[in-house]
Amino acid sequence: MGRFIVIGERIHCISPAIRAAMEARDPEPILRRAREQLDAGAVYLDVNIGPAAKNGEDLMKWAVRLIQENCDNVPLCLDTANAAAIEAGISVYDRSRGKPIVNSANAGDRKSNVDLAARNDAIAIALCSKDGVPANNDERQEYCQELLEHGLALGMEAEDLWFDPLCLVIKGMQEKQLEMLEFIRQLNDMGLSSVCGISNISNGMPKAVRPIIDSTELAMAIECGLKAAILNPCERRMMETVKAADIILNNTLYADSFLDI
Amino acid sequence: MPFAPVPQAFKSSLKEVVIGAGESAVALGGENVLPLYSFDAPIKNRPKVGIEISDLGPDRSLPELAKFYEGASSAAELAARACAAPGADFVCLWLEGADPNGEDRDVADCVKICREVAEASPLPLAVQGCGSPDKDARLFEKIAEALQGRNVLLLSAKEENYKGIAVAAVTAYGQKIAAESSVDINLAKQLNVLISQLGIAGDSTVMHLGASAAGYGFEYIASTTDRVRLAALAQNDAALQMPVIAPVAADAWSVKESVMSEDEFPEWGPVERRGADMEICTASAMIAAGANAVIVRHPRSAAAVAELISALL
Repeated sequence: MGRFIVIGERIHCISPAIRAAMEARDPEPILRRAREQLDAGAVYLDVNIGPAAKNGEDLMKWAVRLIQENCDNVPLCLDTANAAAIEAGISVYDRSRGKPIVNSANAGDRKSNVDLAARNDAIAIALCSKDGVPANNDERQEYCQELLEHGLALGMEAEDLWFDPLCLVIKGMQEKQLEMLEFIRQLNDMGLSSVCGISNISNGMPKAVRPIIDSTELAMAIECGLKAAILNPCERRMMETVKAADIILNNTLYADSFLDI
Repeated sequence: MPFAPVPQAFKSSLKEVVIGAGESAVALGGENVLPLYSFDAPIKNRPKVGIEISDLGPDRSLPELAKFYEGASSAAELAARACAAPGADFVCLWLEGADPNGEDRDVADCVKICREVAEASPLPLAVQGCGSPDKDARLFEKIAEALQGRNVLLLSAKEENYKGIAVAAVTAYGQKIAAESSVDINLAKQLNVLISQLGIAGDSTVMHLGASAAGYGFEYIASTTDRVRLAALAQNDAALQMPVIAPVAADAWSVKESVMSEDEFPEWGPVERRGADMEICTASAMIAAGANAVIVRHPRSAAAVAELISALL
């Protein structure tokens, strides 16, 4: 198995600084966050431009070019509800270091994002849901199969569909956590890839507690076979967990300075 | 069903390290396949053979070796002779006499010898220290300065002395160094990480992973070399993508088979033949395990190993 793939989440228009930079087409705040995350060990960077109903195509093209040209063609995960903007971003995307990721498709109204990924030779994050959260693993499995068959029929390779089990918040759905981990193991046993946005689980918890809960569940999920996660690589505890897990799973050779590389 | 070969070239490749300058410069590493797997993808640079000379001179009790170096007494004369040995790609001067527990030749004298050897050698030069971390650090700093522009390879920087050697030799004078660990895969990686943290790029460092003669715990060094190559290629581990150099002479020539006299073991045949055979076996096995260069002592060994490489690649 390859090393765990960290998708850095910090270029997100929910952050006021990033939103302002995107509106003003100001490179510096975006590049600063890109570099910080890469220095911390991110492999992919997520670029979330929000719903971007207006000018989304121009904005995504600008962001893709900006980040790739300044960061050695880092591979990107294009994240918006505006499908045309994702496609515009892919049209200027350099694949030398990895395919673009379409974030995201589901079995409901965003199923067509699988088509988008298929016609652009991209990876799709496929949420195992239709509308709202899946009630149980039978439901997850049903949506997973639906999306898998859809993608394969369009000529995609199974390895280009990364299934997201949907992480559920612990405060309120504590009893659902084990089931979610079990689903990751099922995907792994089926030879399928999985990805998740781990920080959802700790929503509403005190700031100091969140990294502890997030990193512990991440370690458990990696052991179940999780391939990638969208997370904040600048949160030290998270990257320490990822790096230590890669050592324990023998994905990379141990050296005393493993946390520094 | 017909057999359809599936080439297993990797997306990652080893770094390429060049030693020497001008037309005789040699490049080590650079390939993206397992050792000798030229059927998977072309091997960018075939493994190279270095021939070792000592500042204390050859063992003239070995008739063939004595004849080869007949009339050559200074290190420079020995080097010129070694460079003419069939199969030699580079020469390695071992500063055996610098050992504080032996002749303890001082730094200035060693530097003078290195200069003369470099002048006399048409092939690229490697310089092997005496093994004392402190003395080697002082030696390499001065040698790196004196041989600026020759792009020599200094063996070796160890955990105890890598900082001074890396900064003086590579950063200040643009030479190449070998990072030496002793059959410890984690330390091999760690040393490369520490050297790279000094701002030194992977194309200035080779790895000396340790040595042992074939039959004398050789499987440990073989499996270490194997694992390093797999990490470099299959796991794209940039901290282990440096080429590997295997100086096998000292170990091959110190085991029982290479030192017991023919009087004691008449059925074993001549000592010199046995020593060279040990060296050939060890060097060949290291190349099969993943060495990008070997260093041998006997001209017969250099010729045999070079012939093996040519026949395989």
